[in-house]
Amino acid sequence: MIEFSNLNKWFGALHVLSDINLSVAKGEVVVVCGPSGSGKSTLIRCVNGLEPFQKGGLIVDGTELGGSEARLRDLRMEVGFVFQQFNLYPHKTALENVTLAPIHVRKLSKVDAEERGRALLAKVGLGDKMGNYPHQLSGGQQQRVAIARSLAMQPKIMLFDEPTSALDPEMINEVLDVMVSLAREGMTMMVVTHEMGFARKVADRVIFMDRGAIVEMASPETFFTAPKNDRTRDFLSKVLQH
Amino acid sequence: MFLMQLDRVMGYWPVLLKGIAMTVSLSVLSLLIGVVLGFAFGIIRAGRNRTLARLLGLYVDFFRGTPFLLQVFIVFFILPVTGIELSAFTSGVIAMSNVAACFIGEIVASGIKAVPTGQSEAAAASGMTRAQQMRHVVLPQAVRIVTPSLVGQFVLLIKDSSVVSAIGLLDLTRAGWVMVQSIPNGLLVFGIVGLSYFIICYPLIYISRRMERRDQSTIL
Repeated sequence: MIEFSNLNKWFGALHVLSDINLSVAKGEVVVVCGPSGSGKSTLIRCVNGLEPFQKGGLIVDGTELGGSEARLRDLRMEVGFVFQQFNLYPHKTALENVTLAPIHVRKLSKVDAEERGRALLAKVGLGDKMGNYPHQLSGGQQQRVAIARSLAMQPKIMLFDEPTSALDPEMINEVLDVMVSLAREGMTMMVVTHEMGFARKVADRVIFMDRGAIVEMASPETFFTAPKNDRTRDFLSKVLQH
Repeated sequence: MFLMQLDRVMGYWPVLLKGIAMTVSLSVLSLLIGVVLGFAFGIIRAGRNRTLARLLGLYVDFFRGTPFLLQVFIVFFILPVTGIELSAFTSGVIAMSNVAACFIGEIVASGIKAVPTGQSEAAAASGMTRAQQMRHVVLPQAVRIVTPSLVGQFVLLIKDSSVVSAIGLLDLTRAGWVMVQSIPNGLLVFGIVGLSYFIICYPLIYISRRMERRDQSTIL
């Protein structure tokens, strides 16, 4: 479903992604972790073309990235993206946030889009907040609206870029719960997160990145109990001690 | 003496009214054209095509950096040399719409740049075209950000319209000149002219202040 082959990216002289080789199968949940600046966000931003890359290849849902704008848009309809900072549209209500793309990109009728939007907002536990504007919602609620907004396009793949990092601790679980149920429904997911509990629970594979490269890739059991790389061990000792 | 003069000024009310009508119609028409053109300018100035943005920037800076009176003269006296004959009113509208578009364009561009990039990223990530991102996500937020400055700019432009009296249009300022020929009390005549400008502009000033207050109370 997602196929990186020798992908390289530079920001000027800085080598942010080096020789990335990774393939994610349909229905697989891959958690990406690593210290800040390791390139993990850049990695998943490549998958829906938010970041261009200079060398190597990336095929997502049969589409080679780096083609025309029109093909990129077609691909983006199939790939949901959830941002660390939510990026909800502040001038639109929760329901309008969720229906905007289905109406204008999928060309759904307003009635159908709203029906789908209401169902999704109810699914993420916000059935009573449809008419609220983002600034009237808590961080956890906003992020759940953002997840519903992505799901409204009925994507085949969901990407999460540190979805709980901007949240107060007591709101993290309400977002993770939604993600766990999505994973159990068989969604193909790439998740950048430091929530190791989430990784243990639903990840099929965990990837550790450092300095732009994939340092370790393993099943959660192996990753947490018997990491091979020193840097992985060092990182785990820091994130797991609390 | 004063009352007699006031009475004579009142006798000139058709001229005064004509002047007000001219100033209002010139301003409304020019601001309408200026807003439409100004949004186009702003989108280009904040856009991804940097060459086009810089070229337009040069054009905009030229008109922001030269006196409006001169621009009116250029349209009214110099364009006819190239074979384009324009009435004084058309010349006034062209000069004023143009300068309005230049100022409004820069304000709109600053508003577009003030919308966080995460907004267009989120819209792009859902498959929207650039035009859709602009129309549904970026512009509505940019407009909210710049509305108070835009309205302030409208007031400045309406006042600047007094310059068109120089090419013979009977606007509010020229109506004052006409009246003062026969009523030798400049203070009184131009006091009334000034009051008329204020009455035209004040609603805008009021709206702008109201909106600024509302902006502070509701975070975007």
